[in-house]
Amino acid sequence: MTVSTKIAAGLFGKRVDAFTDRNFKYLLIAPAIFILLLIGIFPLINLVVASFQDITILGEDKSFQGLLNYKRLFSDARMWESLLHTVLFMAVALPIELLLGTVMALLLLEKMWGRQIFIALLIIPTVIAPIVAGATWRLMFDNRFGPINQVLGWFKGEPVNIVWIVNSSYVWAAILATEVWQWTPFMFLILLAGFSNVDRTQVEAAQIDGASNLRIFFKIVIPAIRPVLAIALLIRALDLFRLFDIVWALTRGGPGTMTETISTFTYVKGFEQFDTSYTSAVAIVVVVLLSIAVIFALRRVEIAR
Amino acid sequence: MRLKVPLAGLLAAGLLFAAGSPATAQSAADRAVEAAKKYAGTTLNITWEAGLQSLDPLNFSGPMWEELTGIKINVIEIPINELFTKTLAEHRARTGAFDMLNVVPAWMPDLAAAGALEPLDDFIDKFGYRDELQDIAPVYRDNQMTFRGKIYGLPDDGDVLIMYYRKDLFGDPANQSAFKSRFGYDLAPPTTWAQFRDISQYFTEKFAPDLYGSAMMRSAGLIHYFYEERFRVEGGKFFDADTMKAQIGNDIAVSVLEGMIDEHQFMPPGVEGWGPIEVLNAWLAGDLAMMGWWPPPGRWSAGYGTDTDALSWLPKSKVAGKVGYALPPGGTPQLAAGFLLSVSADSKNKEAAYLFAQWLNSKEISLKRVQLPFALRDPFRISHFESAEYKALWPAASDYLATLKSAAESGLLDLSIRNTFAYEDALTRAITASFGGADPREALNKAAKEWDDITKRVGVEKQREAYLDWASKPNAYPKR
Repeated sequence: MTVSTKIAAGLFGKRVDAFTDRNFKYLLIAPAIFILLLIGIFPLINLVVASFQDITILGEDKSFQGLLNYKRLFSDARMWESLLHTVLFMAVALPIELLLGTVMALLLLEKMWGRQIFIALLIIPTVIAPIVAGATWRLMFDNRFGPINQVLGWFKGEPVNIVWIVNSSYVWAAILATEVWQWTPFMFLILLAGFSNVDRTQVEAAQIDGASNLRIFFKIVIPAIRPVLAIALLIRALDLFRLFDIVWALTRGGPGTMTETISTFTYVKGFEQFDTSYTSAVAIVVVVLLSIAVIFALRRVEIAR
Repeated sequence: MRLKVPLAGLLAAGLLFAAGSPATAQSAADRAVEAAKKYAGTTLNITWEAGLQSLDPLNFSGPMWEELTGIKINVIEIPINELFTKTLAEHRARTGAFDMLNVVPAWMPDLAAAGALEPLDDFIDKFGYRDELQDIAPVYRDNQMTFRGKIYGLPDDGDVLIMYYRKDLFGDPANQSAFKSRFGYDLAPPTTWAQFRDISQYFTEKFAPDLYGSAMMRSAGLIHYFYEERFRVEGGKFFDADTMKAQIGNDIAVSVLEGMIDEHQFMPPGVEGWGPIEVLNAWLAGDLAMMGWWPPPGRWSAGYGTDTDALSWLPKSKVAGKVGYALPPGGTPQLAAGFLLSVSADSKNKEAAYLFAQWLNSKEISLKRVQLPFALRDPFRISHFESAEYKALWPAASDYLATLKSAAESGLLDLSIRNTFAYEDALTRAITASFGGADPREALNKAAKEWDDITKRVGVEKQREAYLDWASKPNAYPKR
C-alpha cells in the first residue's frame, strides 16, 4: 500500500479500499480541475452560447439566432480591417524590435564600464504600464508642446507642426514608435540572456578556423539561441496581437478607424456599445484564428516538443 | 356693496384654503422638504457625473438636503462615458443600487424603453410641481422631458453650444475697416458659416501665431454635436422618414464636412485633435478671436469663481471684460448633452428620490446651484435668465444670460433615438477619418451605410417610431 492510499484509508475508511493509486490521484486533483473549469471553460461555453443569441444594450433576447452574428461578422469590413491593422502592426513592430533588441544585446554582451547601469536603464520602458506609456507619448507627440516636434524643429531650422496622432500619414509611425520604445528592451533582455549562454568554445573554435563574424553569428550563435529566440518572438507576437493600451491612449483607434486593432474593436463593441452577442462571435473567431496561428508557429519553430 | 362681503369672504376662504393646501401653500422646494421628512434616516444613492459636476451634491445640495430632511445623499460618481452603461447594467441586474439618476437626454429613449426609468407624472401632480415646470426654458421643457408622452426626467442643465468672441478685437476700428475693405461687409459676430470662415481667415492672417481666428472642439466624442448642428442648419435631415434610409452621405452632409475641414487652416495647428480643454485654454490665454463651447467659459472668462480651489487648474483669464456672447452661425445652437434628473425604476425609495429631484430642480434651489462657480450646471429656467442676483455676478452677465435665453428658445436637440450611441459613433468615425485625410464623401457614405445597418438591427419600424417621436419635437430641426 502506497502512502497516498494509506492516507486515503485513514481519511475515508474502508470505502477507499476500492480505489487504486491511479484513481485516487484524480480525486486529489479534482478540486483544482473543477476550479480551472469554472474560471476557464464555463466562460468559454457562455461565450459560445451568447454568440448564437442576440444580446445587445437594447434587449436581452436569449433565443437561438443561428449564425446571425457570424454572418454579420463575415460582412463587417471594420472588423476585418481591424484584424488587418493588428497583423500589420505585428509584421512591422516585431522585426524592428528583434533587430534593435539584437543590436542592443550584442553591444552590451561584453563586459564594459557601466554595463549594469545601462541594462537597468534600458529595461525601464518595459516596466511602465502600457497605458501610461501611451499617455506619456501622447504628450510627447503633442504638436504644440511636445518635445518631438521641438527636436525636429531644431534639425529643420524652423518650427515643425506635425499633428502626429490625427494625421493619417503619421499616426502609424507614432504608434509603432511607442510600441517599439516600450517593448524592444524586453527582446533585448531575453536575447542578452540567450547570447550570454552561447558556448564560447564553439565561437572561439570557429574564429580560429577563420570564420567571419557574420558567419559565426548565423551558423553558431543563432542556432544556439534558437529556442530562446522562438519563445521571445512568440511572446511578443501574442502581445502585439492583443495590442490595446498604447493604441487606446494615443488614438483610440482613430482617426476614424485607421489604427483600430482587433482588441480596440472588440472593446468598443463589447464594452461601449454592449453589442454582447456579436462581440462574443468576434471573440470566438479571433480565438480560433489565433489558435491556428500559434499551433502553426509552434510546429514551425519546433519548441512545442 | 352687498356683493363685496361675500366676495371678500370668498377671497379670504380661498387664501386660507390655499394656505392649507400642500400643493400651493409653499414653494415646490418647501413642499419637497416637508414631504421628504418622513424618510429621515434613509440614504439615497444618486448617480452624478464624476469630477466638477459632482461637487454640487457633494459640497452643496447633498449636505443641505440632509440638514433639511434627515435623508443622507450618497453620491456615486461615474465618468460621463460610463454613466449610461452603468445605469443600464444595474437595471438589467435589478440591483436597485441607484435611486436618483443623472440622465443625458439623448439616452432617455433607450433607458425609458428598457424600463430603467420611473415615469414621474404622478409624483409631479402629487407634489404640485407641474406649474414650476413651466418656468423651465422651452427648449428643455418641450423637448427633453418626455418619451411616448410620459415625463421621465426633469431638465436640470442648460447645456448649449454658444459662441464666444472677443469684443475688443471685433470693436477695434482698424480691424473693422480692414475687414470691411477686404470682405465687403461689417465685422460682427458671424450669422452664417461663410462669415465665420471669413472672420477666422481675417484674424488668423493678421495675427497668427499670436492669435487665431477661431477654434472649435474637434475630438471624437464631441465633434458629432458640432456636425449635427451645422448639418441641420444647412437643411440636412438625418433620415428619410419614409424609408428610414440615412441621409448623412448626401451633398449637404459632404459640403458641411468639407467646410469644417477647410476652416482648420484658420484655426491653431493641430486643432483637428483638440478637445474642450485645449480650446478652453487657448481661449482663456487670449489666443482666439472666436470659439464655441458650453456656457461655463462665459463665467470663467470673466473670472467668476475661478479663485475657488476646484477651479485652480484653470489658466488665469486674459480675456476678462473683453468677451462677447452670441449664437453660433445659423442661430440654432446644438444643445450638446445636458442632464435630466430621473428616478430609477428599481429604486426602493422612489418617492424620496423624486422629492430630492424636485427640490434640486425647483426655482429656488436651482438658482443657487447654477451660480455655483465650479459645478457646471448652467442656467436652464426662465427665472434664471431673468435673475437680478445672477445678472449682478459680473458686468456682462446680463448679455450672457440674454444669449443663453435666446439659445434656450432656438437650440437644436441632440439626435435621440434607439441606440443613439452607435449612430453617433459611426458618424464620429467618418468625421475624424476625414480630419485625418480620408475623402469626406467616401467616409460619410460608409457611415450612412453603417447607419442603415444599425437601423436594420434595431428594427426599421421600431426606429421609425423613435425617430418620428424625436423629429416631432419642436426643436429637432430649425424652424424655417
